[in-house]
Amino acid sequence: MEHSGSFLTFVGEHLQQFFSYTAFANVTSGHLIMIAIGLVFIYLAIAKEYEPMLLIPIGFGILVGNIAFTPGLKLGIYETGSVMNYLYFGVLQGVYPPLIFLGIGAMTDFSALISNPKLMLIGAAAQFGIFGAYAIALLLGFSPSEAGAIAIIGGADGPTAIFLSSKLAPDLMGAIAISAYSYMALVPVIQPPIMRLLTNKKERLIRMKPPRSVSKTEKILFPIIGMLLTTFIVPSGLPLLGMLFFGNLLKESGVTKRLADTAKGALIDIVTILIGLTVGASTQATTFLTAKSVGIFALGAASFVIATTAGVLFVKFFNLLLKEGNKINPLIGNSGVSAVPDSARVSQVVGLEYDKTNHLLMHAMGPNVAGVIGSAVAAGILLGFLS
Amino acid sequence: MKNTRRIAGIFLTLLMVVTAGRCFAQSSLDLRINEVLVINDSNYVDSYGKRSGWIEIFNTAYNSVDIGGLYLTNDPANPTKYWIPKGDPVTRIAPRNYILFFADGLPTRGIQHLNFTLKEDTTNYVALYEVNGRTLIDAVKLDRQNPDVSFGRLEDGGTEWGFLEKTTPSANNFTGVIVSPGEKFKVMDPYGVGMAVIAMSVVFSALVLLYVVFKNTKKIYSINLKKLFGKREKETVVQKPAEEEISGEVNAAIALALHMYVNALHDHEETVLTIKKVARTYSPWSSKIYGLRNIPR
Repeated sequence: MEHSGSFLTFVGEHLQQFFSYTAFANVTSGHLIMIAIGLVFIYLAIAKEYEPMLLIPIGFGILVGNIAFTPGLKLGIYETGSVMNYLYFGVLQGVYPPLIFLGIGAMTDFSALISNPKLMLIGAAAQFGIFGAYAIALLLGFSPSEAGAIAIIGGADGPTAIFLSSKLAPDLMGAIAISAYSYMALVPVIQPPIMRLLTNKKERLIRMKPPRSVSKTEKILFPIIGMLLTTFIVPSGLPLLGMLFFGNLLKESGVTKRLADTAKGALIDIVTILIGLTVGASTQATTFLTAKSVGIFALGAASFVIATTAGVLFVKFFNLLLKEGNKINPLIGNSGVSAVPDSARVSQVVGLEYDKTNHLLMHAMGPNVAGVIGSAVAAGILLGFLS
Repeated sequence: MKNTRRIAGIFLTLLMVVTAGRCFAQSSLDLRINEVLVINDSNYVDSYGKRSGWIEIFNTAYNSVDIGGLYLTNDPANPTKYWIPKGDPVTRIAPRNYILFFADGLPTRGIQHLNFTLKEDTTNYVALYEVNGRTLIDAVKLDRQNPDVSFGRLEDGGTEWGFLEKTTPSANNFTGVIVSPGEKFKVMDPYGVGMAVIAMSVVFSALVLLYVVFKNTKKIYSINLKKLFGKREKETVVQKPAEEEISGEVNAAIALALHMYVNALHDHEETVLTIKKVARTYSPWSSKIYGLRNIPR
């Protein structure tokens, strides 16, 4: 009898010990908030189709990262030796973003830009959002490195934001990546009111010349010359720019179809899964739910607004210098923000609201891809000055 | 043809030899004499518990460099005084790392113990020579020194020398507060205006440069070099019709028309009956001749 009593105690103790290991025993309100945020991301991705390729891995990553466990079991993303920690290495060391840029390069058709190179300048103007946000971040008391990492959200380029923040402010990377991807998903909501506010009806109806056809030689020369010119000016942008143009050369050369297919297919998919999941998992409640994260989200919104404004206003200014017939529709100014192809799609949709036959998509793709180059150059500059 | 191959072969071999030599030279040329302590009264103790003068070498490269095979000396007339043995893991210096040599005149104590000492009462000379014993990698002349005060580069691998506030054997020579480049930038540009001006100028210049190049690319590669530099033959009067540039819209219309045409063809194609020919190959097993009875004679 006595023996059975001690056995029950033994079982009870071990059940209690097991319970102490479960997430039920360790969960905090912070974890629950983060899990709720993760679920919202998954909902937005599935129900609203907001950037599902990114929001589902990130949303699920947030769930994974916020399961409350007992430290020391080599489970958490920040615990050396855990599986998630090994996968996170690619984020911390900036391995994944250049691989994604390789895929983007292999997917992107730069014809719109080559046929009308002056659209590149719109891509440059929209980068003002980055440096506007940098100035505001400094005023809010962020250190220069943190300010630089946060400001890159205005470049509207997830891989670039992750790459730069992993170098300048690794602690803030989760919040920066989440903010960047959230606002990229919200581009169709943020940009149209600004575009309407800054343009008049006459400007919105401007019809642009149809783009000329681009020869194969030009398409092949673009990535080679583009890489040499941009990286000679900003060598610190080499990991991103080099891979972007390399991917594009694989596509345009016409003789490396298999490599291009892999870069824009299986490779980018694998890396997107890994980067999304690990960035999501890096948002553990303890590191994510801070006042700084709130500031980052506010600055992210500000940088998108500034970038869109700068792009539209630049086109209006540029039009003053252009002859009648060569003018640019300012509704493509927003697409200098390099959320490809969402911001170009916004130009198209808003343009069609005012003229059902005025298709701006092809024209908007020019500044859109120029924005990718511009934001990578801007990231290189920030890295060069602040690291 | 044979000659061309031979020349190409010689050229490639030469190129490989030159680049190989250059790669090797670049590695050891990244080494610097970083810090020297001449009079060691109460300073760093070696693994034998003894105090002696020491010389710190710093690898300025971002890759490992093997110091084995190089020479250390304190005599300008004898550059190969101490040969650093090869093939020991100790001599492989990690990127941006250090190795310490003890000037105790006791080389039997190990690779890092030199066969010379540093003179306490007069000037000293320390030099590091290449594997060939002739190429100088780095050298420093030291005036009379104070006890337990080292003389070194104020920053690791830097150009400025001086007496260091703290001796730092196998450690960073700079012991002050390190200000990050970002903080330095903020001192001059507290509101980010400078950053915006500089960075936007760079972004614009990069994209303007691309704009200029691609605005003119077509013109550049469409130059007919044969026509420019070739012999001018009789100019024929035949004029080719000017090539009309086809706009994207026309291309799209042509593509759509073709697409519709092909689709239309496809619709009819489905109604076509195909009579498949069935091949009947001959086999002796099924031959009728064997199934017939032979007429008896």
